[in-house]
Amino acid sequence: MSMDPEMVAMLRDNAQRYAADNYSFQQRRSVLHNPAGHGIQAWRDYAELGWLALRMPEDCGGMSADTAAVGAVMEVVGSHLLMEPILASAIVCTGLVLKQATPQQQANLLPRMADGSLKLAFASIDDPAPGAACELRGGTLTGSKIGVLHGDIADQFIICACNVDAGGVPVLCLTEAAQISRESFRLVDGRGAANLRFESAVAERLGPERGASAAAVISEVCDEATVALCAEALGVVRCLMASTCEYLKVRKQFGKPIGANQALQHRAVDMFLLQQEIAALTQAAQGAMERPAAERARIVSGARAYVITAARHVANEAVQMHGGLGISDELDISHYFRRLMVNTALFGGRDQHFFRFTEETLSSL
Amino acid sequence: MSESMLQARLRAARLKEEIRHFCAHVMPADLLAKSRRHQVLDKADYLRWMRLLQTQGWAIAHWPREHNGQDWSPLERFAFEDELARQGCPWVIPFGVKYVGAVIYTYGSEAQKRRFLPKIANTEEFWAQGYSEPEAGSDLVALRTYAERDGDHYVVNGQKVWTTYAQWADWMFCLVRTDREARPQKGISFLLIDMKSPGIKVRPIATMDGYHHVNEVWLKDVRVPVGNLVGHEGEGWTYAKFLLKNERTAGALVGMAWHALHRLQRLAKEQGLLDQSLLRCRIAEYELRFLALEETAYQAVEAMMDGSENGGEASLIKIRGTELYQDIAAATVDALGPAGVAWDAAALHAGGLPPLRPDDAGGLLKDHLYNRAATIFGGASEIQRNIVAKVVLGL
Repeated sequence: MSMDPEMVAMLRDNAQRYAADNYSFQQRRSVLHNPAGHGIQAWRDYAELGWLALRMPEDCGGMSADTAAVGAVMEVVGSHLLMEPILASAIVCTGLVLKQATPQQQANLLPRMADGSLKLAFASIDDPAPGAACELRGGTLTGSKIGVLHGDIADQFIICACNVDAGGVPVLCLTEAAQISRESFRLVDGRGAANLRFESAVAERLGPERGASAAAVISEVCDEATVALCAEALGVVRCLMASTCEYLKVRKQFGKPIGANQALQHRAVDMFLLQQEIAALTQAAQGAMERPAAERARIVSGARAYVITAARHVANEAVQMHGGLGISDELDISHYFRRLMVNTALFGGRDQHFFRFTEETLSSL
Repeated sequence: MSESMLQARLRAARLKEEIRHFCAHVMPADLLAKSRRHQVLDKADYLRWMRLLQTQGWAIAHWPREHNGQDWSPLERFAFEDELARQGCPWVIPFGVKYVGAVIYTYGSEAQKRRFLPKIANTEEFWAQGYSEPEAGSDLVALRTYAERDGDHYVVNGQKVWTTYAQWADWMFCLVRTDREARPQKGISFLLIDMKSPGIKVRPIATMDGYHHVNEVWLKDVRVPVGNLVGHEGEGWTYAKFLLKNERTAGALVGMAWHALHRLQRLAKEQGLLDQSLLRCRIAEYELRFLALEETAYQAVEAMMDGSENGGEASLIKIRGTELYQDIAAATVDALGPAGVAWDAAALHAGGLPPLRPDDAGGLLKDHLYNRAATIFGGASEIQRNIVAKVVLGL
């Protein structure tokens, strides 16, 4: 069901105002240098603002946000490079809990996720080392996961594993951070991540004990995350575009603004065209979440493949047109650049999504 | 979404449905086949086509109701051109119904409206556009064709170029300079010129597609009654800009790209080329670019309607649409191998078959060569980028 566009607009305005007042590029610096890897106060504020319950139904105190409303917040996440696990916890893990967990599990998890006292991370990527695949066997989990976004600060994890007791179907299970040995590290954009190792970790199956495969739920929630990343990219690209345009007007060389050169004007226009395409495809992908699975897969993956390439091109050009400043740590440009790099590694890269788009598009031929 | 936008979307969807029905049941099969094979359509074909559109109530549906139109929204206009092109229909020749018609009902005198509009509506008279000149292409304001007042006539001297279908035209709307002293934009007037007037010479320009569609038009002491001046003397540039603004949503590009892409897929499949992973990958790339074009174009059209436009929408659609169409057309010709380059002009004109199969190979080649100009005419891609840089980015 779609939300009232005025509600979405209000959410967007509030988010923008909050981030402008509390999460400027300078304010973000202190978060970046904080060993916690995220803003403790910011996380509390997001709970206050209702962002952590965005996806939850109204009877849980949530907003029942549709994809467009989630996108409105994610654009601000992108434009201000928010460091906290909104995507990981409030969108992905909340989505998995809503779609897969039993009512008791939901009652246990959702209120604490909404008030910010519980942060969840989703561990989906198996360690490629031989024998490291995650397996659930009689309530305990073995194996390793790598590159878990916000795995460094998560209180609990949702893990995608093979259920050995049920012929190896994919299932989701939940485990406490204390059950896991984790190796934490930073990603190139400053956000934290972790590799996880489970050695007979006590794990609770998400959903009914004898439930079926979680593959469809995982695919749907990963698509939701993919669409959210498109919106984040739009936020990033709008900022890169605006900064670059401004710089072209003020930076003078050879006695005139560099933006007076047609070579640069046309390249800036190409950045703008990409920005408009990213906006249109993001909206299309948001709408596609309501469609049947095959159509959803085609449009979401098509949009993501295009958006990844387009956004990276805009970022490359923004760096180039800022000259040496573009690669400096002092300017936000290089931070946007690095954020896009990291996001490309999340929930499928360009080739993966393009392949899925190709299969869905041409398989009928 | 607003209620009016929802209604517009519903109407556009219904219109597309009607067009599909029309193509399946009403459109003469010979004309549709010729068009789908990109064979050469002659004047009689186009007259038949344009009058068919008028019979359907579509030729001037975008005109205001007071002039017998249906007040179509930009979305309906866009959807109309999009769907016709998807179905492989002939080009909707714009010079009368879309271009000069709108200028006349907006700026023309009552006498001009009575005299011209009915014959534009049913294409009883064929129009050409006298804009470009040898020294005034992208920089149209540099035009030098001069109209000097002599009693109740203008005497016109100069040369127009790239004039599409001037060889068929009964009338030409023409930008001429009426004041050499004024600022370049201020000295231009909008004249309606009878192509039968003494002193007009039309010379064909041979193009690489082997098809006679553009001309030089020479004007030597051509006498044009003052009554054929549209609006005020010296205001022609304003009317020309209005015309461009009025006709800036090129829905046909989206439909043409769709049509071309599906044709490429069909050919690749028929010839067993889809297993070639590189061609398969290329087709998927075009599919993805098409998805981006379609979504962006329709959002741009809706932005024009709800007032959130930025001014670069039409340029965006034109740049991306023409780039994609040309790439698909080139890939199609390449995929055909020898059949793609076999050339039989007589077959193209007579509606015959090309030297090598498939049946539409000759037309595909002609279409590819013709549309190489798509990034040049109607504001070259470079001009479109200049416009966006200035209007949207403020550079």
